[in-house]
Parts: sequence; C-alpha cells; structure tokens
Amino acid sequence: MRKFKFSALALIFVMTLATAANAAVPETVTCRVEIDRAVLPPGGPQNVVLKVTLDAPRAPVQAGRPRVNIALVLDQSGSMGGTKLEMAKAAAIEAVSRLDKNDVFSLITYDTNVHTLVPAQRVRNINHILRAIRQIEAGGNTALFGGVSQGAAEIRKYIEGDYIHRVVLLSDGLANVGPRLPGDLGRLGSGLFKENISVTTVGVGTDYNEDLMAQLAQRSDGNTYFAETGADLPRIFARELGNVLNVVAKQVILTITLPGGVKPVEIIGREGRIKGNKIELSMNQLYGGQEKFALIEVRLPESWAGKTLNVARAKVNYHDPYTMEIRTSTGIATAKFTNDPAKVEASTNVKVVRDYQLNLNAMAQEKAIELSDQGKPAAAVQALRESAAKLKVYGGKYQDEQLIEEAKEAEVQADTLERQGMSKKSRKILRTKSYQMKNQQMQE
Amino acid sequence: MAGRPSILIFWTLLLIPTLILAGVAFRLLSHEQERIRRNSADALLDQARVIARSIDLSLETVQENLTGSLLDIPPGDIEPRLMSWERLNPLVRNVFIFHPEGGLEYPERSIASTQEERQFIDRFSPLFSGRLSFGFNKLSKEGTTVQASSRKKLYALSRETQPTQSTTKSGWIPWFSDNRLYILGWVRQNETEPVYGVELELMVLLSRLTAEFPENSRPGTALVLMDGSHTPIHQSGPLETDGDKTPVGRIMVSPHLPHWTITAFTGKDASGTGQSFLILSLILVGILLTAIVSGGILITRLTLQNIKDARQKTSFVASVSHELKTPLTSIRMYAELLLSKRIKDPDKQHHYLEVIVQESGRLTRLINNVLDFGKLEQGKKKYHPTPFDMVVFLEELIRTHEIRIQNTGLQIIKEFSMGSFTVNTDRDAMEQVVLNLLDNALKYAGRGQFIKFILIREGNDIQVKLQDDGPGIAPNTREQVFKKFFRADNSLTTVQPGSGLGLSIARQMLRDLGGDLTIEPDLRKGACFTIRIPFDETD
Repeated sequence: MRKFKFSALALIFVMTLATAANAAVPETVTCRVEIDRAVLPPGGPQNVVLKVTLDAPRAPVQAGRPRVNIALVLDQSGSMGGTKLEMAKAAAIEAVSRLDKNDVFSLITYDTNVHTLVPAQRVRNINHILRAIRQIEAGGNTALFGGVSQGAAEIRKYIEGDYIHRVVLLSDGLANVGPRLPGDLGRLGSGLFKENISVTTVGVGTDYNEDLMAQLAQRSDGNTYFAETGADLPRIFARELGNVLNVVAKQVILTITLPGGVKPVEIIGREGRIKGNKIELSMNQLYGGQEKFALIEVRLPESWAGKTLNVARAKVNYHDPYTMEIRTSTGIATAKFTNDPAKVEASTNVKVVRDYQLNLNAMAQEKAIELSDQGKPAAAVQALRESAAKLKVYGGKYQDEQLIEEAKEAEVQADTLERQGMSKKSRKILRTKSYQMKNQQMQE
Repeated sequence: MAGRPSILIFWTLLLIPTLILAGVAFRLLSHEQERIRRNSADALLDQARVIARSIDLSLETVQENLTGSLLDIPPGDIEPRLMSWERLNPLVRNVFIFHPEGGLEYPERSIASTQEERQFIDRFSPLFSGRLSFGFNKLSKEGTTVQASSRKKLYALSRETQPTQSTTKSGWIPWFSDNRLYILGWVRQNETEPVYGVELELMVLLSRLTAEFPENSRPGTALVLMDGSHTPIHQSGPLETDGDKTPVGRIMVSPHLPHWTITAFTGKDASGTGQSFLILSLILVGILLTAIVSGGILITRLTLQNIKDARQKTSFVASVSHELKTPLTSIRMYAELLLSKRIKDPDKQHHYLEVIVQESGRLTRLINNVLDFGKLEQGKKKYHPTPFDMVVFLEELIRTHEIRIQNTGLQIIKEFSMGSFTVNTDRDAMEQVVLNLLDNALKYAGRGQFIKFILIREGNDIQVKLQDDGPGIAPNTREQVFKKFFRADNSLTTVQPGSGLGLSIARQMLRDLGGDLTIEPDLRKGACFTIRIPFDETD
C-alpha cells in the first residue's frame, strides 16, 4: 500500500489539465490525466498515482454503425446437455437476429472435435444460420482450444475488412482436449490481440475454469462473464452484442510520456510496456460512452515549494471505425508543490483515489484466490479483510458511497470465505468481478 | 426300403461339400475382413503421415521465413524492429538481443520489465548467461549453404538471387523448460555482431496448425496431435480416445517439435465398410447354404413321399384284388352249385340266390368306391343335389340294411331330434357316405353291443352321427383314417378286408357338397363319426 507523505507546509497550485485538444468535436475520444492529489508537499522523492482516462463518445446516432465480424464458439460437450444448451441456442438465435446484412457471422461448436457449422459469411441467409443453431446437440469432450482456434480462423477470412472482430466463446466445462492451462490460453489471447481479434468468454455453471476464461479474455481485450445458470445467457449475449455493435474506437494505443526526473514504478491492473520514460498500453476497442482508464504509479523527483512540475503527457491513437481515420488526442498533467497540508489534503481527487482503491481491491481478490488455491484460507480471508478495512477507511474519509459499498461487499466475501471456504461459485464471482474492475468492463 | 441308405448317402454327399463350402467361405471372409481392417489402418496412418509432413513443412516455412526476415534487418535498426515485431506479430512471443561479451542487451531485467519478460529471461538463462552456445543443437546452420534435403535446396534456389559469401549463422532451438516446449530462433550477422532473435508464440502456431488440421470423418477412427508427453493437442475424428485405447500407430511430426506425434486410433466400428461387407457376405453365404440344405430336405421329403405312395398303392391293389376276389368266389361257387342242379331244396336255392345278390351288391359298392375315388382324384365327380328329408332317408337306409346289421349281432339305436331335417344334396353320394360308415362299423365293431344313429341340428347344419361301442380308433391315428389308402391296422396282416378308401372318399364328397366328415376326438369307448351337411333353408 502506498503511503502518502504530508511533510512541509508549502502552498501549491495544481492544475490538472483535462485536455482535449479537440474538445469542441464531441465525437472524439478524449484523454485526461489526473493525479490522486493535485497539490503535493515538497521534499524528497514521492510516489503518486496517475489516472489516464479515455472518455469514449456515444456512438453517433445518424451514422450507420461499424460492421462486425463475430465468431460464436459454443461448447456442445456432454455436460452442456439440457437447459444450458437450449438457453445458449436461444441466446445465439437472439444475437444473430440483431445482426444485419453487412455483418459477418460464423458458428463453431466443439466437443471432442471441432465443427464449423456456419463458415464465416455475411448474414444474408438468416434461416440457414438459425437452422444450424437449432441442430446443435450435446455430447463428447471439451476441445476448447480447437474451438477458439477455429473461431479465429473463421474471423481471419474477413480480417482485411473494416470490421469489429470478435470471438464469443461459451463453455461450461474444463478443456480436456488440447492446451488447457490458463497461461496457454492467455498466450493465444495475446496472439489474437495482435490481430485485433478480441475473445469474449462466457462461463456457464460452476464447473468451468474461470482462470482460463478470464486470461483468454484479458489478453485479447474481450469481456468475461459468469452465468450461473443458462437463464442468464440471453441477457449476457444481448449485452455483449450491444457492446460490440457500439464500438467507437479500434486499435487504441495509449502512450504516456514522463518528463525527465519522473520515473515509472508500476502499471496497476493492466498489461503494459514500460520502456525508459515511456509507458505504452493498448486496447482493442472502446465502446460508446465508456470510460476506460489506466492507473500508473510514478515516482516524482525531489521538489521544493512553489515548483510546478509536468508529471505526465498522454497521447492516444486510435482507429475511428466511422470515419476510417486514425485519430489522436492528448492530455497533460502538472502538479504544484506547497507547504500547506490543508491545501494538499483539499486537492485530493476522490475519483482517482476511488479507482485506485477499487483496483487494489481487485488485486486483493486475486490474491485471495491464489492463497485459497495454495491451501491458505485463513490468509485469503485476511487479505480480503485488510482490503475491506482499507476501502472502509477511504470511504469514510472521502464520504464515498461506492467505496463503502465495496468495503461491505468485501466483508461479506471474507465472511463467506471464512464460513464455507472458497466455493466454486464464489471463486468464479471473485475472478470475474476482479477482471471486470481491472478492465472497466461495461456494466448494465 | 432300398431308399433309406441311398438317402443317407445323398445327404452325406450334400452335407459334406456344403459344410466345406461354408467353412471355406467363412475363412475367406474373415481374411478379407482382416485385410480391409489393415488397409483402413494403413490408410489412416498414411493420412497421419501426410498431416505430419504438412505440419513439418509449415513449421519449416515459418522458421525459414522468420530467419530470412531476421537476417534482412539492417544492423542499426535491430532493436526498434524487433520491438515492433513483438507488438504486432502474433507469431512472436518475445524478442531478444544478446551480445556474447556484454550479455543480454534486450530485454533487460529491471523494475520496468514485465513478468513475461522476466520469465523469458529465466527460461533461457543458460543461453543468455553465455553458459550454452546458441549453436549447440544441430538444427543451426551456417550461411545459406546448408546440408539440406532436396526440398530445402529447391527453396534455397528460389530465394537466392546471387551467391553470397556470407558468414551469417542462424538456428532454431526447441527448448524444454518446466517440461514445456518453447521454440527460439536466432541469427547472427557475423562474429562481431550480437545474436538476436525471437521466441515463437507456440500457442498461436498451434492454433493456426489445428485450424488447418484436415477433417477426418471416418467413423470409429481418430487422428490426434499429441505433444511429447502424449497429451492430446488436437483431435480429428469421431472416436473417443480417452481411456486406455491403444493406438494403431504414431507418426513423428517434425524435428522442430521433438517427440510430438500424430497418433492414429481405431475403434471397434473402425472399418465401417468392411463390417457391412462381412455382414452382407455372411448373409449371402447363409442364403446359399439354406438353399442347398432346404433343397436337399425337399428332395428327401418328396422321395420319402413317393416311396410311401408307392407302398400304399401296392397295398391298395392287393387289398382291392382281395376284396374283389372274395365276393366273386362266393358268387361263382353258388352259381355253379345252382347250375349243376344238384341242390333240390328250394329253401337252399333261395338262400344261395340271396347270397349271390348280397355279394354282388358288395362288389358294386366296392367298384363304386374305386370309380368314385378315381373321379374325385381327377375332380370329375358330378353331383346331382335334390331336396330330401334326412329322417326319411335314414329310416329307409336302416330298413334296407337291418338284416345285415342284425346278423352281426348289433342292436340298432336311433336318436332322432324333433323338427325338420330337409337337406339339398346328392342323395346317392349321401347314401354312399352313410354306407361306408356303416360298413366300417360292421367291420370293426362287430364285438360291440350297439350301433347308434343320431340326428341333430346345430346352427345351420344338420349332423348325422354314427356311434358304436367297438374297439374304437387309437388317438394318434384318428385324423389319419381320412387319408387315402390309410388303414388303421396293417393292411397286409389284417383280418378285415378293405381298400383304405372309404373314409377318404366320404370326407371328400361331403366337403364337395359343403359339409364335412369328422371324428369325435375324445370318446372313451368306441368310435363316433359325424356327418355335417348344411340345412336346406329354402324349405
């Protein structure tokens, strides 16, 4: 946990330039850089948290939406039989009916083998697709890797077109044919990310491998969902499709440049690359109206009261699927130093603190899973309780309801863990929530 | 009787070749089945070989192209170029630049390095620490002139525009760390330059390879790509391979994926066509055998029937001759006596004449039976139905034969129901039927007490029953008495004369007239025959 030092009594002016060079044009993604405290005490080197926010505009109403290229990969192994498969089919049919003629759809199912029921094609003959979906029957093993691979192969048939590429994977079981380690599927996700293909993973029931599903989604910048029963599937599919049809920026590359003296420490909750004084993060897409951010801890050089310091400059490059142009937007943050602790205190940016704490909580959840997996349930409970306590402190200090709410939830998680141990279901909820938090997955 | 041994010989001659034929057919079929199974396994292995070749080729192409691209990077541009590859190329997992003197230049282990980079450095630490030379394995090559397969030479020819005296070195290293495979490619422009290269993103490579894996839809088979520890990576084919199925063969995939195999499995229903071929052939052989055997049975039955018929006809001729001879002898003897005029007593003369008339009546009936039998057999018997009252008919008949019956010592009992018993049928035929039954009764029931005539109506039928309390008929021969030539006692040893035709003719005639003749099945003593004839509704 980061400690905030309140040393001298210097007065500081902080300017957080929530820029947007082209703020006048509303349909651009804007880029903001904020510091957890806008005013800092002078003195020796200190760590601060930067929040770089990308605000995606709402999708323009009048323009036609970007075309999508979706591969639906369904698990049809024996365990999917019954309601789960029926609901999955209903959800798939619902999803297909929302696509239009210019979109590309493919349907792959897998058991022990992989079957391409609908090869990638424009959604012209919808009846043919619906018939293929209805014919799916359950039976056999779980060749998840092969299914995703085939899904990606179908996507690649239209990879050159200006589509939003997406594989939607649904599974309820453990992969038992082909690579099955979360890390391996994560590597596949990394590879697909480089081709601008995102994999959204939907786990059904309590027997699937949530680590694998979360890693695959995370590395490829897709979403991940946990559907306890088949009944949740239509809602999840609708939400996922809503997201995909609402993409306003593709191939997003965020570069944060730190001026001399400011050193990067850590990227919190996201994968990124630190190279010298540059930090680079990439995302496959931004959804309309979404706020995505990256939290970065940096170390500031020794400063004196009255000094103004450029802390970071952020630049975002992305591909606009509406105009087919590469767009750029920048943001900058500067901090001032003062000896007045009251001003330092007053400058606290609650939103940054909140997101930082929530991300730390997400990491605590992952830590708890890890400890519980290692057979240390007491330590896992401890990790959750500590995180809850911290959330509570900050929630109380800044009168932030969301933090207090999360603190309560973390308490409940700790209590449940203490009483019943880590159940399959709570492990899935923790894993999914932590991923959704770190990735700022759109909620309803 | 000479037929039996010949039939036995016939059967032996038929059965032995048939069984040999069946055995040979079965052996051939199972050989054929085995051959088909082997062929199908061979075909599966051939397919596995083709897939392995194609994977090997793909890997080789990928690696050669990557090596080529690595060598094409201008020396001053290596780091940015490699970093951009790492960011954009799905096949590249990690990149590195290593200087034999200075150690690892990129990625450097620092606070800023990612977990992946740290693991990468650890994974290949024997190489990156300089403990192991990059060219340690034999998959490395020097320059572009390599000892290579003809295919590689062809590639080299197609790529090489001018012969170069280059000192480049390159190689690919399949690397095991934590029992997992990683593949590292490296190049070195010359001795003074650093070694640099890429780590392949194996999962992406596998993902591409599995998506290209050809479909195998043969039932009961599976082709499985397995890694070095026999863990399935990808399966093609409907057979479930979990459990302890033993593979029919393993094909090594490529030296670039050490110990990886394409493993072929077949199940019970593997050679689907072979199975149906066997079933079809077995059915055909079965039909053939059945035809031969049933033909044999049919011939034997016919032969036996003919033998039996011939025997019965012989016996028939003998008994009919005997039957004809007896009355003729009597008639001739009495006629000669009367002709010699030595008999003066008028009573005796009268008695002799009566015997002559009686015996000629018997002769007539016998001849009628034989004639009727002939007509019935040929279907030429003609009937002349006339309506008459059964009661009157029976009364007349009994009166005519009263003396004959009484002479045998039998009492006549009549049980006629009340009511109308008019029938419309051939009166002569009816008379012949009743007389045949009566003759039988007199012949066989002579030691009994009575002969009973019963007349009743049942439904639309009129039934005339002739019952006696004689020795009766053995239960197992009750139905056979209606067969022609059949005689309840052995015809050659019997004391009673007869042709064995009477009951057969009687039943045939009644059936022709719409009635029937049956025997009461469970009578404790004696015999009872029932004549059934339709009631004349028009009356």
